[in-house]
Formats: sequence, structure tokens, C-alpha cells
Amino acid sequence: MTTPRRLTDAELEAYLEETLAAEEMAAIEAEIRQRPELLRRLSMILGRRDAGLHSVGEIWRRHRLSCPDRQQLGSYLLGVLDNDQANYIRFHLDKIGCRYCQANFADLRLQQEETQELIITRRTKYFQSTAGHLRQTP
Amino acid sequence: MSDADTLLIDRIRDGEADAWTDLIARYEGRLLAFVESRLGRRAPSEDIVQEAFLGFLNSLPNFDGKRPLEGYLFSICAYKLTDHLRREGRRPAVPLSSSNDSSGEWHIAGSERPASSIARSGERKDMEERAVAAALRDQIERWAEKGEWQKLMCAELLFVRGWANKEVAEELKLSEQQVANYKFDFIARLRTMVKKQELSAEVFPELADEEPA
Repeated sequence: MTTPRRLTDAELEAYLEETLAAEEMAAIEAEIRQRPELLRRLSMILGRRDAGLHSVGEIWRRHRLSCPDRQQLGSYLLGVLDNDQANYIRFHLDKIGCRYCQANFADLRLQQEETQELIITRRTKYFQSTAGHLRQTP
Repeated sequence: MSDADTLLIDRIRDGEADAWTDLIARYEGRLLAFVESRLGRRAPSEDIVQEAFLGFLNSLPNFDGKRPLEGYLFSICAYKLTDHLRREGRRPAVPLSSSNDSSGEWHIAGSERPASSIARSGERKDMEERAVAAALRDQIERWAEKGEWQKLMCAELLFVRGWANKEVAEELKLSEQQVANYKFDFIARLRTMVKKQELSAEVFPELADEEPA
């Protein structure tokens, strides 16, 4: 997506949360290398948070208040949503650049393309490397 | 958290291997997509997802069941990813206060942020956040039910992206006056809710008095 102008505080907050689209994250890191004063703005944002101030965007992102659910993303992928809802999901994915929804969408798309063998191999690896830590917890 | 996830977590807490397999199967793909979009390399991305699953199991005794499972897993993954990016020198360490030197040095960030200030306001802050999140959720659901997608997009660009009214107007092909009016109504509703719940307006700087343009 195109970021038309100076980075906003809301975008820098999202950067700190690692929730912006990957290409925007990389672009911000490149910009910080060029303009270290951005670090000062990031630092001020952390300071505001630590002082207990809220921002609407931060709450909105953290609670994922407008994220479509996985079923809606699947319907969007299949092209079976009505135009208005599909337009909104496209906006949320591309213009807002919600990284969590982008990840879900990419996963749904990949499930149609990846071989079952590859998926099972990966899941088995995760299981074998972590199951030793599975234990009864109160 | 959904009923299905609650059940799954209960079974994992009982040490059921099948439940753990189910959780991995349900979430690994989206977590891997989240990490790989940033790293661009499959092998280290898989390692980070693996670390995230391990982190999840280790944190399970403290996991708050009210929190959505997907969001919790994403947050662990984001933390592991951020740590990895810092070690690679791709993500900068952010100085702790605006008075610190910010010469652009990129190094491993410490976690020396002042814990006392966070702890002092933590409980109250959570309560304020939950109240505002509930009000926002109601508003967003109303817009969706009425098909007022443009108002939703407008608020999202203004507050989630932080764009100026003029930019939002251009993007959504609205007049600046329409954007200003939507913004004013939105803020007024939130401000009313904050007052009704006797929350301190001071901790929501965006809800300061504002007149439509």
C-alpha cells in the first residue's frame, strides 16, 4: 500500500507492536536509518504508554475490533461475499495493512496450494520439538 | 475465547497430546505466514513459530482464558520475531525517554523500561481500555449492521492509521467536511461513554474537545 506522507504516531505505534504490513515495517526501519530522529518519536510514544495514556488506535488494534473472522476471510477468498463487505475486507487488508488478517488470508490461500505432505511434515516437527513441555497444569 | 478454544486449552492443560496436535494444526499456518512475511525466509520463520509454541506451553499456567487464543499466539510470535530482528540488527532499539541519546545506534534492546510506572497504573489502565474497547466494538457492529462501511473506513483511517482529515477525504472520496463531521460524532460518542463510566478523560488525549471543521 502507499503511505502518502509523514509517518503518523498511530503508524509508529503499530510499528512498535509489530502489526503493520511487513513491507511498511521494513520501510519504517529504512527511514529510521536515514532519520534517527524517528527514534525520538518512538521513544515518546513508549513514554506516553508508560505514563498510562491510551490511544484509540492502540486499543482498536489490540482488540482487533474490525478484523474479519477467519470464515469471512475464507468467503472473501472464494469471492462469495457481497460487494460492500468484500470492499471493506480489501480495504482492511490492503489500506489498513492489518498484518494479522494478512497472515490469516495468506494461510488460507496457501492451504489451497501447499501439499498435504509438506504441511504434515511441518506440524510433526513442531509437535516433536515441543511436546516434551506438555504437562498437566493446574 | 471461543468455546472450541476453551475446550482445547482445558485438554492441553490436562496434558493431552492430541489436543496439542490440534492446536498446532489450527494455528501454525497463520503464525508462519505472519513471521515469514517479515523475514522472507522459511527456515528461520519455522524456528520462530516453534519457539512461539514452546513459549505458549511455558506460559500456559498464567494464560488468561478470557483473552482470544489467536491474539495471544500472535503476540508471543511477534515478541519472538521482534527479538530475532533485533539480534539480526534489523530492528532498532528504542531509547527509553525522549531525553536519551537517540543517535541511531542499532543494538539489542534492553527491557529496562520503568516497571514501576506500568505496574502502578496497570489495573486501572486495563479497566479503561476494556471500557473503550467495548464502546468501539458496539459502534463498529452498528456500522456493519447498517452497512455504513464508509463510516467504519473513515474512523479506521483516522484512528488506526492516524491520517489527517484531508487525506482520509481524498482516499474515501468524501468532502473534508463529511470526514470532520464523522470524526466529531465518533469522538462525541466515545467522550459520552467515558463520562458515563466515570473514567478520567485525561488519559484519552484524542478525546479532547474538538469542534467540526
